[in-house]
Amino acid sequence: MSRITRRTMLKSAAALGAPLAFPYLNLAHAQGAPIPIGVGVPLTGNAGAYGPDMAEAAKRTAAKINAAGGVLGRKLELFIEDSESSAAVAANLTQKFINVHKAQSCVGYWGTPEGMSSRPIAVQNKVVLMVSSAANAITEGDTQGYVWRFQMKATDWGIVISRAAIKLGFKSVGVLGLQNAFVLPIMKVFEERMKEAGRQVVDSLIYNPEQPSYRAEVERIFGKKPEAVYCFGLLPDFVSIIKEVYRGGFESKVVALSIMADAEGKFVQAVGNQVAEGIRHFQPMPDVAAPGYKKFVQLMGAPADRVFLFPPNTHDQISITALAMERAKSPMAVDWSKQIITVGNGPGQEVDDVVDALKLVREGKPINFQGAGSTCDFTPNGDQLGRGMGHWIIKGGKSVFVEYQKP
Amino acid sequence: MISFLVLLGIVVCFSAILALALNFQWGLGGMVNFGLAGFYTLGAYTCALLILKGGANTFVAMLGAMATVAAACALTALVTLRVTEEDYFAIVTLGVGEMLRLVALNEDWLTKGALGLSGIPRPLGDVIPSEIYVYFLLALSIALLLGTLWVLNVLARSPFGRIVRALREDDVVAATLGKNVLWARVRVFAIGGAFIGLAGALHAFYYQYIDPTQFTNIVIAYAFMAVIAGGRGAHAGAIWGAAAVMVLLEGSRFLKDVIPWLDSDRLAAIRIIIIGVGLILLLVFRPQGFLREHRLQVDLVTATMRNR
Repeated sequence: MSRITRRTMLKSAAALGAPLAFPYLNLAHAQGAPIPIGVGVPLTGNAGAYGPDMAEAAKRTAAKINAAGGVLGRKLELFIEDSESSAAVAANLTQKFINVHKAQSCVGYWGTPEGMSSRPIAVQNKVVLMVSSAANAITEGDTQGYVWRFQMKATDWGIVISRAAIKLGFKSVGVLGLQNAFVLPIMKVFEERMKEAGRQVVDSLIYNPEQPSYRAEVERIFGKKPEAVYCFGLLPDFVSIIKEVYRGGFESKVVALSIMADAEGKFVQAVGNQVAEGIRHFQPMPDVAAPGYKKFVQLMGAPADRVFLFPPNTHDQISITALAMERAKSPMAVDWSKQIITVGNGPGQEVDDVVDALKLVREGKPINFQGAGSTCDFTPNGDQLGRGMGHWIIKGGKSVFVEYQKP
Repeated sequence: MISFLVLLGIVVCFSAILALALNFQWGLGGMVNFGLAGFYTLGAYTCALLILKGGANTFVAMLGAMATVAAACALTALVTLRVTEEDYFAIVTLGVGEMLRLVALNEDWLTKGALGLSGIPRPLGDVIPSEIYVYFLLALSIALLLGTLWVLNVLARSPFGRIVRALREDDVVAATLGKNVLWARVRVFAIGGAFIGLAGALHAFYYQYIDPTQFTNIVIAYAFMAVIAGGRGAHAGAIWGAAAVMVLLEGSRFLKDVIPWLDSDRLAAIRIIIIGVGLILLLVFRPQGFLREHRLQVDLVTATMRNR
């Protein structure tokens, strides 16, 4: 019998590795070579539902920019990878984007753990990281201008949701929150605001993910008969919770996030119309009336009334990258990261199409880019302003739009 | 590309240390550790907390992580093996592991809960220039991996190693020969635990950010895959096994760069299939793994001469 020795193992490892290495033995920043951008989105794992459209938005945005002549006379080249909704995988991907593809911009990053694990890598390598995640911690501390959030910060979600709760007239509420980095700040602000407004928070608890049952939690909160129970978490736990609520015959109204109670229609499919009836849900969303968003929907080839929650952020991340590079006349993040606020906040001519905006920047005119997901205004530490929240109610198995609110 | 391979090398090193620890506990000692992810969590968090909250030196914190996980493993083995049979031991480790993970997730005051711990300093991080730091971390990881391999090899080939193997084959026979079964098993589990702690500490140093989502049960699956692929009981094999698993996991990402029709959506879907098929093929064609367990062999001729 032939034995596998260390030598044969080494030889086969080298033979396997060599052809894989060849495509990367080029100078990524040579004149005329494409400008690489890393796109890390969840294509599998618990957020796998959201990644494919984000990837598609990235491809179409880059194709649009490339068709109009690219950036600094060079094409954009995307490297799209599956973050598997995991912090460790996202960190490995960010390393791959930076070290293998020589990307100076890494975009996507749906979840907070993915953003948090990639943040130190981006800062150390002086590469821009643009995330769609909400937890406040992403932009806290010294990010040296390399970390930018294309999403409402978690505490702002709490502000909008509590304001709506007060408007809906709920005198007493209960709160059920998943043990998760973006949920806890929402809960904290929500409870504070409700108490300030003189409303009663009857009870609040934090539950763990992937529990076999949520009966004890549901009975504790719903058993106190608040007018409404606010649930903050993700789709799988919410499906279990709401089935327990229905089984227990509780009458409190239920309010949740759209990633739980809509999730591209998956919630109603899982629990049925009768159980879902009357549930309200909230989520940061683009201003669907904004011309930038309408153009984005056309770019995606989707029906005009389609609401995309996350893909417009990816569009804006690539657009802002392109505009800041063009403004700085450099593909290096060390230079163009300083131009992000200049092209996003203005002052300058308001423009909602990335190709038109690039033209103006090339002409040396100041611009104020209005994106598809938001107005693309930022605070100096990288938090996004100008994104609002949608409010829906489920009627007959369909989510009916109620209102759009900014914090 | 070179620095990416260096970084991948570091990941292979701490995965290999984890696989070696599991190989010592399970491959050599026959003690199934389904709580591996929890003990790994304990190692990473102990190391990070000793530095961030205790102000300890990174090397001291690494030793602290090893000692803590060794103590936790010893306690688990001591309490469990006194009252249950070995089959139930696997279930208890699963429970303990899950418990440790839930502590990391819920004790906000200590672990910052789901948000995780960020800004973990690295060994000599403030002395070595950042441009060459990854090379230092790789060298350190390789040194620690070789150190682990050496210690475990010495132990496996010592009289203690023979007791451990005897326990794996038949503990009743070992007990009949006057060996202290409980004490030997507690030691095996604790020594393995110390190296799980070391792997956890390196994980914390590499990522500089740890949160409970990094320590799910897939960690256990990868470690068992590494041990099985490498050859159960063979220490050097566990290193090859860990490297093979990492090459399959990370290397398969590069397929779409060399195969034009394969885009990221398709690759995400078929990557797991590729990894599964790779393992099935390995088990079909090399069920004993890459390498075989080290056995003391006496040359037949010498043995015959002696017997004359």
